[in-house]
Amino acid sequence: MLDERHCAAPVASVRDLKVHFQSKRGIVHAVDGVSFDIRDGETLGLVGETGCGKSVTGRSFLRLLPVPPCILAGGSVTFHTHVVCKACAGVGCEACDGTGRQAGWDRSVDLLGISSEDMRRIRGDRIAMIFQDPGKALNPTLPIGAQIAEVFLQHRTEELIALAGLPPDTVGAIRRFASQSPRFGDGWLLSLPGPRRAQRQRVEESLAKMVADALAETQVPNPGKLMARYPHELSGGMRQRVMIAQALACNPDLLIADEPTTALDVTVEARILELIRNLQQRRKTSVLYISHDLSLVRRISDRVAVMYAGRIVEIGTTAEVFANPRHPYTRGLMAAVPGADTPRGKLAAIRGTVPELVDPPAACRFAGRCPHETGTCRSNDPVLEAITPSHSVACFIDHPAQSGERPTYERVTK
Amino acid sequence: MQLRDYILRRLMVLPVLIIGVSIVVFTLTRIGGSPVGIYLSHEMTPDEVAEIEARFNLDKPVWVQYLYWVRGIAMGDFGWSGVAAAPVADVFPLKLAATMELAFASGLVALFLGIALGTYAGARRNRLPDHVTRIVAVSGASLPQFWFGILLLIIFWAHIGIAPIGRSDAAIFASIAHPTGLYTIDAILAGSPTALWDAIWHLVLPSVTLGYGATAIVARMMRSALVEELQQDYVDAARAKGLAERIVLKRHARRNALVPTVTVIGLTFGFLLQGTITVEIIYRWPGLGRWMADSVLRGDQATLMTYVLFTSVLFLVVNLIVDLVYANLDRRVTLGK
Repeated sequence: MLDERHCAAPVASVRDLKVHFQSKRGIVHAVDGVSFDIRDGETLGLVGETGCGKSVTGRSFLRLLPVPPCILAGGSVTFHTHVVCKACAGVGCEACDGTGRQAGWDRSVDLLGISSEDMRRIRGDRIAMIFQDPGKALNPTLPIGAQIAEVFLQHRTEELIALAGLPPDTVGAIRRFASQSPRFGDGWLLSLPGPRRAQRQRVEESLAKMVADALAETQVPNPGKLMARYPHELSGGMRQRVMIAQALACNPDLLIADEPTTALDVTVEARILELIRNLQQRRKTSVLYISHDLSLVRRISDRVAVMYAGRIVEIGTTAEVFANPRHPYTRGLMAAVPGADTPRGKLAAIRGTVPELVDPPAACRFAGRCPHETGTCRSNDPVLEAITPSHSVACFIDHPAQSGERPTYERVTK
Repeated sequence: MQLRDYILRRLMVLPVLIIGVSIVVFTLTRIGGSPVGIYLSHEMTPDEVAEIEARFNLDKPVWVQYLYWVRGIAMGDFGWSGVAAAPVADVFPLKLAATMELAFASGLVALFLGIALGTYAGARRNRLPDHVTRIVAVSGASLPQFWFGILLLIIFWAHIGIAPIGRSDAAIFASIAHPTGLYTIDAILAGSPTALWDAIWHLVLPSVTLGYGATAIVARMMRSALVEELQQDYVDAARAKGLAERIVLKRHARRNALVPTVTVIGLTFGFLLQGTITVEIIYRWPGLGRWMADSVLRGDQATLMTYVLFTSVLFLVVNLIVDLVYANLDRRVTLGK
């Protein structure tokens, strides 16, 4: 946790992101005007209950949403690529203000606006993603070595060719092999005895080495042997390690972790979290950690954003949000986490469920479930406003509307 | 070597299955009546009939007849075909080659075209190519072969007059040697473009008729399997790696979608064999199917039993191949035990 980074430049800025879905009942406003920054090197925890738009927000970074039914209705996701500082190789020096990072090849791009070709260049290389269930996110019909190798073939062709001892101006079937764009007949061309076959074997050996190195990073035993295994032969924890190795293979600037430990049991969860933390700190990767588990997010995040019904209702440093939660929803979530002194059989819950997001009215999304709601909450839409420089909340309790009754924590209306 | 053991084990079961099949085949055929009819003519006296029955051991108990039949098969004698007026063992390979050429041509087309069409449609779900493929596939699966075949015949043979009928032009057929019995292969071996063209040209209509239904089935299966696979997490994970859509489709989704499709392809093989009977009759194709149809009508039991026995064995072998391909595609499938 890096407190001095509060002022660090953002690696990604989401502004007024709106992602809608077409459905039979109308247009679902799954994400409806979300704005936040992910700062360089930090872990931003994105919490909220199921169906509040966390995953959709995460996936929109990589445009991994099916269009249609999904509609990118507006806003922008600006990505500021960073690379490891060349002067100090990530250790931290004066040239990079001790962050070990410097601005990358392209100052900033709008991830929602670039061509799909450019998007593909960013996916897996500059922004990577870890999925919820590693058992489903790995292809059951390919050995895991081949699946990790794809990342290198896609983004590290030059490195691969150099490592295989081939000249950088290598062209033809070998280059197509090393860049995963084979033409018809290349397979035969490269398996006929001759210099091409030897070159292919050298590329394959280098590739195997890169894959084994990537796997070794995640502390798996015997990475060389693991490469030939199929996903179903591994345990859940091992599979998630493989996913992490795959995601971090190209040293991305931003890692989107979409509930990476939800499908794992608690002991494995702790070790996977530790692994992500270690790798992140070593490589200065920024992480958007999506989870519904409040106590987990508290453990690993520098900052927390609380999402509810397609909106961010509260965002701030982990310390501030947990010490002084302002939004009634955040308070409700925290009250729902049982502690050591919670009496047996008594669990607090927030009444009701997330509202349907078809054509939402101009009102606080939490009205109807909120214990403190007033008439103001039902007729006005609160916006996210700062209460301290590093803590913002969208609620009329802290930012009263211009007219109407002001809700307070003391007054329980429901 | 697990794979070799598995194949050996499956092959060892084969004789047992064949004996079982042979008993069923023999019994069912005998229920249809005595096979002596095919050897008789109207002028024969009862004494002559009795003499023929004795010659073919038809005066013995049925189970002894079965043993005689099995002994004959073991010695390469499958009996006398009244329809072909020759020993079954002599005619069978020639007819088989004709049928195999037809079945291969349509089977391979169905395999590749079906998978290609299914992939194309599945990747463009609910868009125009998907709808067009759906129409093609549904019509292919629902048009009866005898109707579709006759329709093609009326259009291309009777009206336009460009399509030939039968298996080859007699003069061209006589001009080359026939070591394999597959005319297209024979023509290539003989290096004769005229003969090759003739062989292919004769194949077109029959194999289109035969292959249409199978293509439709494979395409539909492939399409729905692919649509399902494309919604899986690993497809998004592959996209998240930055892979081109082409690679996501071919290496990831299609490979998984092939797993259920392969099973269907194995079953389609039976559909093809059954179809050869209709198609060979329509196009006067001198293969097993037409021979069998004639044999059924004339009670040529020796031929029928050989045919059923042969197709059963073929089916067992095809299923073994399907299982092997299946296990190779999906490593979660364990062979054996």
